[in-house]
Amino acid sequence: MGYALLVSTPGEPSDTPAADDYRLRRIESVTDAALAHLDVEDLLGELLDRVRELLEVETATVLLLDSSCQQLVATAARGIEAVVRQGIRIPMGKGFAGRVAAEKGPVIIEQVDHTNVLYPFFREHGICSLLGVPLLISGTVIGVLHVGTLAPRRFTDDDVSLLQIVADRVAFAAQSRRAEVDRAAAVVLQRSLLPARLPVVPGLEMAARYVPAENGGVSGDWYDVFTLPSGWLCVVIGDVVGRGLVAADVMGRLRSVLRGYALLGGDPAEVLGRLDQQVQHFDPEAMATVLLAMFEPSFGRLHLSSAGHPPPVLALPGQPAVLLDVPSDHPVGVPGGLRRRATTINVPPGALLCFYTDGLVESRNTSLNVGLDRLCGSVVAGPVDSVCAEIMARLVGDDPAGDDVAILVLRLQDSGEIGPLDLVVPALPWSLRDIRFAVRRWLSAVGAAPRTVADLLVAVGEASTNAVEHAYGPGGGTVSVHLELQMPDVLATVRDTGRWRPPRGENRGRGTTFMRNCSDDLRIDHGPTGTNVVIRRRLGEEAPR
Amino acid sequence: MTDARVEVSAENRSVRISLSGEIDLANAAAVEDEIREAVSNQPVIVSLDLTDLNYMDSAGVRILFTLASRLQALRITLELIVPPGSSTRRLIELSGFESLAALKPARP
Repeated sequence: MGYALLVSTPGEPSDTPAADDYRLRRIESVTDAALAHLDVEDLLGELLDRVRELLEVETATVLLLDSSCQQLVATAARGIEAVVRQGIRIPMGKGFAGRVAAEKGPVIIEQVDHTNVLYPFFREHGICSLLGVPLLISGTVIGVLHVGTLAPRRFTDDDVSLLQIVADRVAFAAQSRRAEVDRAAAVVLQRSLLPARLPVVPGLEMAARYVPAENGGVSGDWYDVFTLPSGWLCVVIGDVVGRGLVAADVMGRLRSVLRGYALLGGDPAEVLGRLDQQVQHFDPEAMATVLLAMFEPSFGRLHLSSAGHPPPVLALPGQPAVLLDVPSDHPVGVPGGLRRRATTINVPPGALLCFYTDGLVESRNTSLNVGLDRLCGSVVAGPVDSVCAEIMARLVGDDPAGDDVAILVLRLQDSGEIGPLDLVVPALPWSLRDIRFAVRRWLSAVGAAPRTVADLLVAVGEASTNAVEHAYGPGGGTVSVHLELQMPDVLATVRDTGRWRPPRGENRGRGTTFMRNCSDDLRIDHGPTGTNVVIRRRLGEEAPR
Repeated sequence: MTDARVEVSAENRSVRISLSGEIDLANAAAVEDEIREAVSNQPVIVSLDLTDLNYMDSAGVRILFTLASRLQALRITLELIVPPGSSTRRLIELSGFESLAALKPARP
């Protein structure tokens, strides 16, 4: 191409048609449409190669601003690739590149010495003159582009203008790369953090929706459902202030930390208090609204605490839905708040709860109150998936989402809807706890009397313990537990596929006595294919004996 | 893993051991070890408080029998605090444990 020749033309006059043509060609070489097909990495390299040729310089370097630490990081280089390999970082305002960024304008150094550059790097590489221009996006510095020569050089205004054109191109490419990377990472993070499948909990129906805002990527909305070893079920919904990768990353941390703190015990106000302390200390920039709701193991009562999050909606069968009266305390990450409060409500069978983020009820066109009214009007104590669909249809509709929307809907099944409980667990001691939790929940959901619950826990527990202890050799096996209603009784069957050996050790065999006394009828069948223990116990009051 | 807490407070010549949480086959041995460590040969009376125990079955009752026979050999009195009407109380009554230790309804 011709421009290389033109560049070397000596004594080029600056105001002739030839000079204009020369400038134009120089500009074309860096705004070449063919460059658009390159990916960002290659584009940066190609632009640096061209700029070296055009300006007849030996080095060309792009540094991008890492806004988290206000440092310029060498990202691409030609002629002095070592700046990238050595991970050179320049604080804003310091040294040559730092000055370009701080002044948001071109800086020229004709003779490099220790007073005008930060590191001996340029001098060690024999660089004599430097020209740097800022990378600007809507007036904000995102980095610096600079070129250097081994021989002394007096950079002209044309050189500066040309370098600035290249810088604009570089800025655009770097920005779109960063946005692309951030968005992809944020989407991956968000996906990996929101439970793809909600846990299966007998007696409880759950459904959720998450829709990111349409104007760009994700934000920090999240929901989470998990059980604790104590049998409590935790429901979390939260919204991290901010957008994109940073918000998604904070959300990920909050989610894990909250799970950990919930494991330590305490009511939801205490758990949110610990989360708050953690955020204020380790993530002082972060802020989030969070609602933590904890179901007692029977699901009959719910304890809630809100860190600035909108209250959930409660719908009882045959009644209009209402907003729960949960006092709202300060968001997580805000110092100096008062003591957090926890509220307890009774949740009868058939009740439905809807948790959501503010994107659902707030929009540019409608006020918060209108949104909340509309939400209450869309929620009924019905099947969770249709409730989710109805909420999304009535509140989001055809409008593009301006903010992320997350909803989580839970419904306690009525005793009449509860099917049989079927569990198959490894015949290991730590399965006993899981069996107990499932049995306790199921009995509570079908409305068993407290005494029945206590008795069946012991009877099923003893039968399962026998299977764990006596049915299998070292190879192990499974225990199946089946509970069903045969009104007015509960029929519990505990089955293994091994062969019971006689009880060993002192004080053993007491389990069978307990089983017998905790049931109205007990049958133990040892067969060649395993053992079946069938326990019958009245669902309502009163006990045998 | 099944969770139980063993809290011990000693005063003068008596030791109070409060059990809370749940006891089954999975954690019975660990709970038994904790109780054994809590009792030296010094006390005259050991009082075992089961008020806050949410679940216990034969694995837990077995601990009580073992403890009772050891304390008997050491001439240390054992008393159990178990609320009347509780599931734990019923199992203890069913097991014939009353002959080995006094059952008290509530904390003094």
